[in-house]
Amino acid sequence: MNDKIKELLIKSLELEDITPADIIDDAPIFGVNEKGEGLGLDSIDALELGIAIKDTFGVSFAVQNEETKKHFASVNALAAYISANQK
Amino acid sequence: MAGKIVFTALSVLYPVLVFCGLTFWGLSPRRLSILLLALAFYQFLNLTRSRKAETSDVDAKKANMAKNCALVCLMTICGCVAFFADSLLFLKFYPVLVNLSLLAFFGFTLWKKPSFVFRMANLGDKSIKNSPSRNYVEKYCDKVTFGWCVFFILNACAAATTVFVGSDRLWSLYNGLISYILIGLFFAVEFVVRKVMQSKLQSYVPVSELEMDSRPDGAKFCFDDSSATTWKDFVTDVSKVRIFLESKENIPWIIHCEDVYFFVVALVAILQSGRKALVTANRQDAFIKEIQKETCGFITDEPFASGGATLIQDLLKLETDEIRFGKFDLSKAEMVVYTSGTTGKPKAVFKMFSQLENEVKQQAKFFGNEWMTREIYSTVNHHHMFGLPFAVIFPLAAGIPFRRRRFDFPSELTSITGKKAVVVSSPAFLKRLVVDLDRPLDFKTVPVILSAGGVLPEDVAQKTHELTRSWTNEIYGSTETGIIAHRVSGTGAAWTPFEFCKLGLAENGCLNIKSPAVLEPEGFTSGDLVELQADGSFVLKGRADSIVKIEEKRISLPEVEMRLKSTGLVLDVRVVPMVSKRQFLAAAVVLNEAGREKFAGCAKLKINEFFRNFLCQYLENTVTPKKWRYLEELPQDLMGKIKMKDIQDLFSLPESPNFKILKLQRDVSAFSAKLLFPATSDFYDGHFPEFKLLPAVVQVNMVLLLARAFLNVPKEIVKINRTKFTNPIFPDVPVELKINYDEEKGKLNFSFTDEAGTKSLSSGSILMKK
Repeated sequence: MNDKIKELLIKSLELEDITPADIIDDAPIFGVNEKGEGLGLDSIDALELGIAIKDTFGVSFAVQNEETKKHFASVNALAAYISANQK
Repeated sequence: MAGKIVFTALSVLYPVLVFCGLTFWGLSPRRLSILLLALAFYQFLNLTRSRKAETSDVDAKKANMAKNCALVCLMTICGCVAFFADSLLFLKFYPVLVNLSLLAFFGFTLWKKPSFVFRMANLGDKSIKNSPSRNYVEKYCDKVTFGWCVFFILNACAAATTVFVGSDRLWSLYNGLISYILIGLFFAVEFVVRKVMQSKLQSYVPVSELEMDSRPDGAKFCFDDSSATTWKDFVTDVSKVRIFLESKENIPWIIHCEDVYFFVVALVAILQSGRKALVTANRQDAFIKEIQKETCGFITDEPFASGGATLIQDLLKLETDEIRFGKFDLSKAEMVVYTSGTTGKPKAVFKMFSQLENEVKQQAKFFGNEWMTREIYSTVNHHHMFGLPFAVIFPLAAGIPFRRRRFDFPSELTSITGKKAVVVSSPAFLKRLVVDLDRPLDFKTVPVILSAGGVLPEDVAQKTHELTRSWTNEIYGSTETGIIAHRVSGTGAAWTPFEFCKLGLAENGCLNIKSPAVLEPEGFTSGDLVELQADGSFVLKGRADSIVKIEEKRISLPEVEMRLKSTGLVLDVRVVPMVSKRQFLAAAVVLNEAGREKFAGCAKLKINEFFRNFLCQYLENTVTPKKWRYLEELPQDLMGKIKMKDIQDLFSLPESPNFKILKLQRDVSAFSAKLLFPATSDFYDGHFPEFKLLPAVVQVNMVLLLARAFLNVPKEIVKINRTKFTNPIFPDVPVELKINYDEEKGKLNFSFTDEAGTKSLSSGSILMKK
């Protein structure tokens, strides 16, 4: 699941210079943590990614709120949310 | 009037009169002192009279007054002493006093300029004040004034010596004759020197007023490495081209001549015969054809493949004694200058020649003094504004010799270190100069270096100074307005406007320029944001299109660039807005030495992350660049101009781990790129496991990929013909790829060479489906 999400991230957001192997499972997707890890994506990327996940996994997100943000915290968190909500 | 003549005669003949009085007429010093007192009285009368005289020059008046007062006092004292003591000694002081008072007067004007000689010169020739050579003339006059001061000191000393030690006869002989002869001699020598200087110093004649006798026949007009062309040659050649042009109907003429001499002959002939001149730096077939959709001729100095061009060399072969050369009507002289365009396509800018004439006059007034005794060398294209006024029109009007061919390579400058040179250059050339030259250029006379077309980076200015001992003069201007402002590089960011410009701010914060070189009475508004300062200077704040909105967030591109540079790792950077699914920023970065050292062996992702994390301290996530390219040099056109469009095109070609673009130079229908294929590239798969070579098919594919990205070529190909693979391309060795596309024939020509461009690796041509 994690690898699928990573590939989706790269493809849907047209990320350059990065391979799935470069993405750390528990590093933030949006912004960076104190260690400087993370993809540094922004809120516009979040919308784009939300649509891509819906199209691929059939899982949708509620209107943006604190709860949604948690699901987008890392690849691990995203994988957990998708697995839990997939029919 | 009669009194004046009598007293002047008495004053001049004073030494002779005193001598005769003493020796032949038996007069006592006491009686003769009456003559001195009479002269003093006359001077005194003059003094009271001159007080009424109207002179606007307060300093000059004061100086004259002080001199005369002192003179009258001293004369009276000497006269009185001579009278009461019946002393001959004091009687003889008069010539010394005259010399000292003249010294005081000349010396004073040297201290409170303008100097006396320059004042006299101005009275004699009213045009000096506003002429471009004013500074030069003034300097010369100051020197002459100084010369007079020295002369008066020596003469006063000599006169004093004759007073104390010589006989009466010697005193009279020296002061009554020799001294006058010396004064005459000084005049004569100065006159000869001045004539010699003048013959070296061509006078400034506006181009529209040039006549065949504006300069001596033999005056040096231009030169190349082995020969020089004279004014007479120029007049004769212009005549020949005029005879040809005037035998044709009145149509506009496109000019493109690589040789500046041919260019200026063609341009002057076109203007003098009342034709319109279309000046283009681009001579690609398709581009010329485009202009020729309207009827017009094409005059050039290199064979033109598609025909229909007039070769200027052919016109100059004409045998004729007829001379057609002379003034032309400025109000009818029209021209079009094609810009390289910051946005991509060349743009036609209409100009009256009078704009250029006014611009060059201003330029001459500002630089003339410095340039009059030099020769002009150019490294910029003379078909564009900057090159056109500085390297063509100015030398033509000011009579300054210029080199016929421009310098393309910095190393060529080593051949002119013995000359007194003005080097008309650009940031692109100077950047190469400081990289290419490892030894300083040992100029005998510190050259004048000019740069325009973009901002000269501080470190390049600094290194240029180290190499040439000259601080570059940077010129700020545009095709539409001509020159606007100048600054000496390395002095900070403020620009000083040229005297003839009136600057203001447009509503959008852009610079508005009114000047005699601008056609529109309301002025021309540039695309540059500026901050005007109280002293009239201004600071550039980036281009108006440098403020963009990324997903509703306003961001200034120069700000992002400035932040990136503040890492201390970046030599040059350009940030551009991009649009795909979303809007985002992309950054093309050239690392400096520290940067290359820091990131040596780093994965690109790590470098991206470093810069992104650095920017996150200052900028919102949304406006930090999402895509990055690291190059050796920013993409640019042949003029060295960095255009947003070129950088955007670089980013629209998706990044690949298989090849790297290190440099990119691009024109309308051609480009060259420095490429590198890393050993890790997929391109080498199976070709061969033990010995990696770039496959031919990859090379061809690369040509097509880049041609489609950077040139306007059709998608499909018809066939690949004439392709040679002469030498292998190895991993991690940079190569140079040159591509040009002939739209007419649909032919895409390419060549891979080694980095220096000397060894061919492969070449060929691909026929595209039109």
